[in-house]
Amino acid sequence: MTAQSDSPSGTAEDPGRRRLLVLGIGGACTAVAGVTLGPAASFLTHPVRVPTTSGSDAFIPAGSLQQLSTDTPTKVDLYADKVDAWNRVEHVKVGSAWVLEREGQLVALSTVCPHLGCAIDYQTEEKRFVCPCHDSFFDLDGKATEGPSPRDMDALEVQVEQDAVAIRYQRFKQGTDAKEPV
Amino acid sequence: MWDWLDERTGLVSIWRGFADHVVPRGPSLKGVLPAILVYLLVQQMVLGLLLATHYAPSATDAWASTAYIQDRVSAGWFIRGLHHHATSAMILVILAYLGQLAITGAFAKPREFVWISTLGLLLVTMVLGVTGNVLPWDDQGYWAIQVELGIMEQTPGGGMLRTVVQGGNDVGNLTLTRMYAIHALVLPALAIAMVAGIVVLGRRAQRAETSGPRPHPGVAFFPSQMLMDMIGIVLVAVALVGVTVSTNGSELFAPADPTSTFQARPEWYFLPLFQLRMYFEGPLEPIATMLIPGLVGGFIVLAPFLAARGGNLGRFGVLGGLGLVAAGAVALTAISIQKDADNESYVESMDKARKDAERARGFAKEGVVPEGGPAVFYNDPDYKVRKLYEEHCQTCHELDGFGGVEAPTFTNYRDRTWMSELIRNPNEDKFFGKTEIDDMDPYDAEALPDDKLEAVVEYLVQLSGSGEEVDATLAEQGKALFIDELDCNGCHEVEPGVDGGGPNMHGHGSAPWVARVIRDSAQPDLYGSDAKMPKFADKLTDDEISDLARFVVARRGVTADPVPPPVEGEKAKGDEPEADAPEGEEPEADGAEGDAADGDDEGAGDGEDDGKADDVDADADAKAEDPPPPPPPADDEAG
Ligand code: FES
Repeated sequence: MTAQSDSPSGTAEDPGRRRLLVLGIGGACTAVAGVTLGPAASFLTHPVRVPTTSGSDAFIPAGSLQQLSTDTPTKVDLYADKVDAWNRVEHVKVGSAWVLEREGQLVALSTVCPHLGCAIDYQTEEKRFVCPCHDSFFDLDGKATEGPSPRDMDALEVQVEQDAVAIRYQRFKQGTDAKEPV
Repeated sequence: MWDWLDERTGLVSIWRGFADHVVPRGPSLKGVLPAILVYLLVQQMVLGLLLATHYAPSATDAWASTAYIQDRVSAGWFIRGLHHHATSAMILVILAYLGQLAITGAFAKPREFVWISTLGLLLVTMVLGVTGNVLPWDDQGYWAIQVELGIMEQTPGGGMLRTVVQGGNDVGNLTLTRMYAIHALVLPALAIAMVAGIVVLGRRAQRAETSGPRPHPGVAFFPSQMLMDMIGIVLVAVALVGVTVSTNGSELFAPADPTSTFQARPEWYFLPLFQLRMYFEGPLEPIATMLIPGLVGGFIVLAPFLAARGGNLGRFGVLGGLGLVAAGAVALTAISIQKDADNESYVESMDKARKDAERARGFAKEGVVPEGGPAVFYNDPDYKVRKLYEEHCQTCHELDGFGGVEAPTFTNYRDRTWMSELIRNPNEDKFFGKTEIDDMDPYDAEALPDDKLEAVVEYLVQLSGSGEEVDATLAEQGKALFIDELDCNGCHEVEPGVDGGGPNMHGHGSAPWVARVIRDSAQPDLYGSDAKMPKFADKLTDDEISDLARFVVARRGVTADPVPPPVEGEKAKGDEPEADAPEGEEPEADGAEGDAADGDDEGAGDGEDDGKADDVDADADAKAEDPPPPPPPADDEAG
């Protein structure tokens, strides 16, 4: 090949040729990196396009009307089948809700805090809900009364058939004013 | 700006040192192999990292997560395939480089350690292949690691070594976590060290050439030689992508199953050792697995030093020796490949393995239950039916040794032997003995000699309309016996729907008929009011009932019902629409195969072009590999 007896820094070549070579190197590097990085981008963003986890959209049995219709909230754990990436698991906890009766209506409030997603607790003495993480308080209707929570507690759909109560469990975007399912 | 940065970091000086390095004799494609190794190593690490973002190293999750990568995540098959094939590419390039070093004599002073680093890289890469092969925890990985651990056990103190490496007395979670840690953390570090050794020591030797008392002329590495390097790299990359796409990535077999009969084969780079072992049986085995590899490996490592002694004679002697080793390795590889190609049992078992893999991966798309691994087959419709059977039928109907003997057995249900035995003695416990159905008298050999019994049974098989092959003449004799001589039809009518004292024989034993029995066995043209079997019409869905019926019928190997089923009760009972509807849509009671086909995406990897499974121990003997490049596909821009 082009054997030259030159100074080490290779400056003896003319600048145009040198630029061409550098361009070639740059192009080749980009192409070779693209072989991996292109698919990598598709691979890593896969969850944006295709859901990787899913619970059940159906109403989940939550208990009996008789037990649940009191004005003291009861925490109900909800079990459903769940798909988690490569797994399909049957009858696992997917979440929970505070259930109570308000003005003759059965209400279910998600225990997920609308602020940053901690678990909301109930204070029996004060008769109010509290999120212990950053001290958000909610009244028995789930209304945000104090603290950083941007909105009221998220109500879940309730279905009552004879004595059987069922709840549709959903998760909502956190930190936003509006309640939007994710 | 650059000065500013350089004062604080020295980065610019480092780049200068790298770029201005003088390459003796100017830029050349002959010098690109180390750069290709750098490229492959970096790419492997990136791909490995990507795979690690989706892979779970546990015995229950490894296969499921790999199948997820392979068949569900976009570009997953490509990333996994590229990672797989790049190991082969790396070995080829290493072999090519070793060949180049030996043939050009460049392994001599001062490059002995370049030679040794390259050998080290070969060893590390092979172990990377072995450990990586285990990670998917498919049949391939499972059986390969068994053999490898077995070989390890033959070494002195190997028993303990095996326990440590495998993490217990059997392979499992701890084996996988160990393999994963070694593959993903330890070996890459070693590989980096080896590649760095090759590059840095190689450059050191070049500097000696260009700066000595009689310096060779040269030219700066950047940009001329680097462009050469990039050309080599691009060629290898193109070849790799081509191979990956044309083989649909890397194969993934069915999940590790200790009861399978998978015929594990090592990756192609272990075939010489694999084949060598064939010639040493029993106590001689360590000769092939340890002694020969050890001696040959030692010779290869010492080759540059040996070549330096004894002048030209020594040099050619060593070269000849290396050539011999290479030729031997190529020959052994060829023999091994040829043998497998000629081996029908192997070809067949691989076919079966690929079909199993396809089914398993099809089922995996529905999600794998947490038991993991072979539990993916729980998604098999046949499996679901079996569960249904266990739940609802097995308490009374024994099957293959399991279950109660309260009602007729379903072991080989209604095959010819079953029928004959029933006619000989219907009141036996395994037939109707424990039921309230007792109207039929036994026919012993005197009342009904064997040959006549055979004819009657043949006729009944014909009547069932189950699609089994029937000897028509025999059935004709049977018909005469049944209707005239024995007057069976006094109780067992043969016209569709007509009820006699006992079950109507038209369609008796076919899937639609069994479905009717499951719905309500007490119908007049079935078993009548003596039948105490629960009515399942309300307990199970129509699909479940016809699945169960097909399952029961399949006990005698009948898989289809091409003949129309009995017309349901024109006179018996008009109330059930059942029986026939669902037939025919599914060709087989265990119709799994059909649905499994995951043809949709790139899935079914069948890269047969590179051997699979490492059979042979990696570490101790891998050194024994051949140095000069045997000529397999792709990347040999080397020479
Ligand atoms: S997460 Fe509930 S208050 Fe912050």
